[in-house]
Amino acid sequence: MSTPLNLSGLDLPRRNGELAFDAPWQSTVFALAAAVVENALGGDREPFRHQLIAAIAADPGRPYWESWTAALEALVQTLPPPPTP
Amino acid sequence: MNADGHHTAAVSPVEQRVAALEALLTERGLVPDGFIEEITRRYESEIGPMNGAKVVARAWADPKYKERLLADGTGAIAELGFGGPEGDHMVVVENTAAVHNVIVCTLCSCYPWPVLGLPPAWYKDPPYRARMVREPRVVLAEMGCPLPADAEIQVWDSSAEVRYLVLPQRPPGTEGMTEAQLAGLVTRDSMIGVARL
Repeated sequence: MSTPLNLSGLDLPRRNGELAFDAPWQSTVFALAAAVVENALGGDREPFRHQLIAAIAADPGRPYWESWTAALEALVQTLPPPPTP
Repeated sequence: MNADGHHTAAVSPVEQRVAALEALLTERGLVPDGFIEEITRRYESEIGPMNGAKVVARAWADPKYKERLLADGTGAIAELGFGGPEGDHMVVVENTAAVHNVIVCTLCSCYPWPVLGLPPAWYKDPPYRARMVREPRVVLAEMGCPLPADAEIQVWDSSAEVRYLVLPQRPPGTEGMTEAQLAGLVTRDSMIGVARL
């Protein structure tokens, strides 16, 4: 069933969505994961993805960005320790 | 409010954990100055479904481009300047009168960031992730996208490598439109496959 074309009802794609983040801590933790991927893992996103899958599976009802936070905490644990001076 | 007129809302536990992560990662030199602000700005204003809309409009307007897009999604999308994280292996799936495509990530939230931005909340929620695979026709109808009984539905589960983008059907009555006008018709949901245009 195709919907009749209604130009007046159509909106720009960027406005038919929703804001990427609901609170500043969400954009912060998103960017922190990007920082670890880019600056500690050479751009390899897989280790974080595995942690995110595990964090979601561990508590499926938990809000998404809290699972993201738990995944990043777990990933940080796996990073090699910083060089001691 | 305190005496200064400022909110003194308690910092939530998760905010505290994020602040601790930020402090730790900054101390380890992994978070350059301005990095968080730059990433946030990019994903709030530059990277989003308006990028995918340009890809779809180009494919509608230029049959040669559409051919390249379906053969090599990553390469054809890069022609328009879009690429980066979560966009290394893009596959574009075309809707037709007979076949309707829809994307999902059953395990987490894999999504084609360079062309759609970050996923909407419902895409990341357990009901969509679980049910879209099990009963796509029912879920699509619930989301306002009922399909004819004879239409085949293909559900694409984003795997570790591949990120899918749905190429919606060009709406009838749009023959005289410019590419920019066409891009204005393309919605995020139509490129996920939970809406038709």
